Order: sequence, then structure tokens, then C-alpha cells
Amino acid sequence: MMTDISSGQSGQSIQGWETRGEPWPRIWKTGLALLLAALSAAPAQVRVQKTAGQKSALDCAGFAATSSGAGAEFRRTLQEDLARSGWFVPAAPGRGEYALVGTAGGGGAEVTAQVQFSSAAQRQLLLSKQYRAPVGDARRMAHRVADEILVAIGRKGLFSARIAMIGTRSGSKELYVGDLDGGNLSQITSDRSISVAPHWGPDGNLITYTSYVRRYPDVYLINLASGHRRVLANYPGLNAGGAISPDGQSVALILSKDGSQGLYIRPLHGGAPVRITDAQRAALASPCWAPDGRQIVYVSDQSGTCRPQLYTISRSGGAPRRLTSRGPQNVAPHWGANGLIAYASLMGRFQISVLDPVTLDNKVISSGDGDYEDPSWAPDGRHIVCSRTVNYRSQIYLLDTLGDPPVALTTNPGDWYSPSVTAK
Amino acid sequence: MLSRRWMMAAVLGMATLAMLSGCKKKTTGGPGTGEGSLGGIKGGDITDGSLNTRPGDGSLETRGQFVPVYFEYDSAQVQAGERAKLEAVSANLKQNSAGGVIVEGHCDERGSREYNLALGERRAMAVRAYLVGLGLDGARIQTKSFGKEKSVALGHDEESWSKNRRAEFVLFK
Repeated sequence: MMTDISSGQSGQSIQGWETRGEPWPRIWKTGLALLLAALSAAPAQVRVQKTAGQKSALDCAGFAATSSGAGAEFRRTLQEDLARSGWFVPAAPGRGEYALVGTAGGGGAEVTAQVQFSSAAQRQLLLSKQYRAPVGDARRMAHRVADEILVAIGRKGLFSARIAMIGTRSGSKELYVGDLDGGNLSQITSDRSISVAPHWGPDGNLITYTSYVRRYPDVYLINLASGHRRVLANYPGLNAGGAISPDGQSVALILSKDGSQGLYIRPLHGGAPVRITDAQRAALASPCWAPDGRQIVYVSDQSGTCRPQLYTISRSGGAPRRLTSRGPQNVAPHWGANGLIAYASLMGRFQISVLDPVTLDNKVISSGDGDYEDPSWAPDGRHIVCSRTVNYRSQIYLLDTLGDPPVALTTNPGDWYSPSVTAK
Repeated sequence: MLSRRWMMAAVLGMATLAMLSGCKKKTTGGPGTGEGSLGGIKGGDITDGSLNTRPGDGSLETRGQFVPVYFEYDSAQVQAGERAKLEAVSANLKQNSAGGVIVEGHCDERGSREYNLALGERRAMAVRAYLVGLGLDGARIQTKSFGKEKSVALGHDEESWSKNRRAEFVLFK
């Protein structure tokens, strides 16, 4: 029962190599022609696109793929990723600020792609590579190419990240892992128990979560690569909030073993937990480390039951600092590598907000029907993955902090919630 | 530093108890009856110290012998109307010196799952503190929070929510 983990990891088998400087006469000529065409016609259009949200016109007309099978799946996934990245809008053929040319196809057990990505404005070939992967990894290969294209334009990638989440498809609350676009979903636990609140460790391999598989709420550590799971904390009372520090050495825990709830820090691989909060009459939840590992943001209702708010505290203890005061409930913080804290704020419904912990400036990101909860930053520092509950059904959504509309990542039967995104 | 705080808290607690027993002569029968000194009512879920090691593998657990205790929406305090239920639990455990009780804390479906896990634990601990106040040995009382993960009423209105904000009792041998 404890080793039923099928990780479904296959990203390592994707190969990619540079082809810049190698002879690609036909494609290169096509690309050059497209570049020149783009240069002669593009400027007016680009200016409009820029003011409409920092988006660049991308011409994909020169990217050919087989009409079905893995090549088509690769092309479709790549185009979907590039659109979702928020940095591109489709351009008419020959009129893009950037151009994507190349081919993708499936030959038997493999999917292959040749990709050239160039800037028309700078007349520069920014990416030229060949990729090859097992045919089942066409989508993951596309995610990798999308991220490399984003890096080529000076942005950060996000589509190679993975989401850990809770799903109820099987009839019980099990742990699942999927890609950032919601695809490639694999069931990690089959406990027929209750799984709660998964959180990735910094390496994208370890997952902590709370499970009742041994009847009590205990914190477990899953190593996806090895398929092993072990108990991290099973003290008497509540064991929750397992959050691994950015250096991978420590874990933050919410424990009640001493007769009141406290935030504790312990070495990940054994040792005694040290309590760092003093409040005796509070419910505590959702610890999350600052990117530098020196502070922890967490939820406490020390100001009033059912009025949980965000606080930060130094990892060595001391006085906590209250971050939120507006609204009855501010919960589920996730401190991004960009330094900003995403959280859920109750304003009639739950909405996702982003807070600067230095200035305490905040901004509501989500809007519209339903409750948006449990935000987790995507690695690009622009997007946030969260759950959205409408009519008591929950699905995972991708939110854009720069204003693109939310995208549903899961549309499967059952409820999907408590997403956590890998750091890369 | 923490241990010093604990000692201070303990000293203050004892002083409070002494004062209360000094001025509230009408209260009957020791701790657990004077409202000001009761655990679990004014959020005093810490007066009874650390939790004991968990009981065995669950094979000797029985549930359903006691009526659940219900809570207000924004509260982890034992309401006055619920106290008779706890006196029944306490009386039963005092008659049977073996084993003890697991107090399961639950919440309604609204709000953050992780916060509700903590709130359910506070409710369980408030009940535990009240039972300790009635004279039970805290070492015989375990707490277990289910947060909002195990609703008994499945509607989405106050009628269901009020049934889900509860503490249940499981006896163990």
C-alpha cells in the first residue's frame, strides 16, 4: 500500500540539441524570406499589440506538422502554450514580430521536431534546435520547446512545471500529479483515505502532504523518482503544513502535540521540531517559506476564530508580523520566487490576491463567478495556478497576473483542488 | 524561553484558579464547574498540557456511544447547551478506568481546507480541555482533526453546516 506510486515521469527522455550553424538551406531560406516579409510589413501592427498588453505578434505559418498523430499533437500543444504564456498573439503569415518555422512529425515510436524561432525586428535567429522523444512524450516535448522559446525572448518558462493536486475522480481524495496545462495526469496515491494539501519541495521531486492513511492526520514525504513514501511527522494531535525550505534541509510543520498549535521547524531528515510561534490560542495553517529561506508566511486566527490572517515570522522565531487586515479571511499564502505572496481573500467569495510583503501593497487578480482558492505561483512569476469552485464543483485554473482571462486546466470528472506547482 | 512562558502561564493559571475558588463559593465540586476557570470555553485549550502517545491500531475503537458536541460558526468554544453531553462522556470514562477517548474535530465546508484542519483541532482541544476540567486525566484524551474533510450533512446551507461543526467521540481500549 505504501509503494503504489507510479510517477509517470518521462521528461528526461526528451532529447534536444542545437542546430544553429548546421546546414538547413531550404528551411533557412524560407525563414529568411519570412523575416524579410515581416520586416517590411510589421511595424504598425506590432505597436498596437504592444500597447494591448506587451504581446508580440508571432507568425507560426511556417511551422509544418503531420496532420495527425504525435507531430500534430506537438504543434497544437506548442501553439497553445505560446498563446497561454501571455507574451504572444497570432500574426498573419509574414507579419509577425517573431516567426516560428520548422517541422514536426512522428516516425513509429518517436516524435521529432526541428524548430527555428527568430526575431524579425532584430533579424536574428534566437533558437534553432532539433528535438526527439518517445511518441508518448509529444506534449512534454512541446512544453520544453515553449519554455525555450520564452527564454529566447528574455522571459521565464513555465510549461515544464508540474502540478501536484488532490482529485476525487476515484471516489476518494487522492494525490495526483499533472503537467502545467493539466495534461499527463497520473494518480500518485491509491489509499482510499483522505489526502490533503500537497506541496512540492524545491527540487520538484519531493512532495509533502497530510494523509489519514494511518487514521490520524500525519505528514508524509513522497519521493516521486524512487516511488517511496515515508512518514515525516506523526506526533499526537495535528500534523499538517509540511513545507520544505528552499535549501531542502528543513521542514516547517503545524503541530499540536504540546497542547496548543504551533509552527515548528525541524531538519527534513530527522531531529527534534523546534517551536517558533508563541501564540497559545490560535489555529495555525499553511506555512510557506520566503524564497531566501529566512522567513515563513503562515495563517493564524489569533485575532479571532474564523478570522484567519497572514503573518510572517523569522525562521528563528520572535515577534510575528501581521500582513493582512482587510477582509475576514486571508488564507493559503504562497510566497513566489518573485518575492510576492499570492493568497486567497474572502470578499463575499474567495478571490486570489497578490501581496508585496515589504510594502504591503496588494492587488486582486481574479474576478467573476465562483471561489478562487489555494494559489500557487507558476515558475514564470506571472501566472498563478489555483482552484476555482463553482456550484460546489472544483477545477484547477491558470490565472494571469497581467490580465489574460483564466484558463481551465482540468475538465475531468470529480473535483480537483489544492494545486501546488513545482519551482521550475 | 518557551518553557519559561509555560511556567508563567501555569503559575498565572493556578493563581486564577485560586482566586476563582476563593470568590466563587457557590460553585459545586472543584474545577470544571466555575465558568471562568473552565478550559474549552474561553478558548483556553492549553491548560492541560501535552498530548499522550496515540492509542493502538484502531481495532479496539468504538464510536457512536455519545452525542456529538456542536459549535457556532466562528467559534471553537464549548457552548453552554452542549456541556451536559461532555458530562456524560466524562462520567462514562470515570466509570471505566481502562482506555480513553479520541475527540474528533470537524468543520463546515466553508473556507480554506488547511485552516479548517487547524480549526477542527482547536475544537477537539477545547473539548479535551473541558473534559480535563471535569476531572478526566488528559493522558486519556486524544485529539484528531478532520477539518472539513468528513461532512455528515451534505447540504450547502446553515442546516447542514451546523451539523458538520462538531466534535465526535471514539472510545478506545
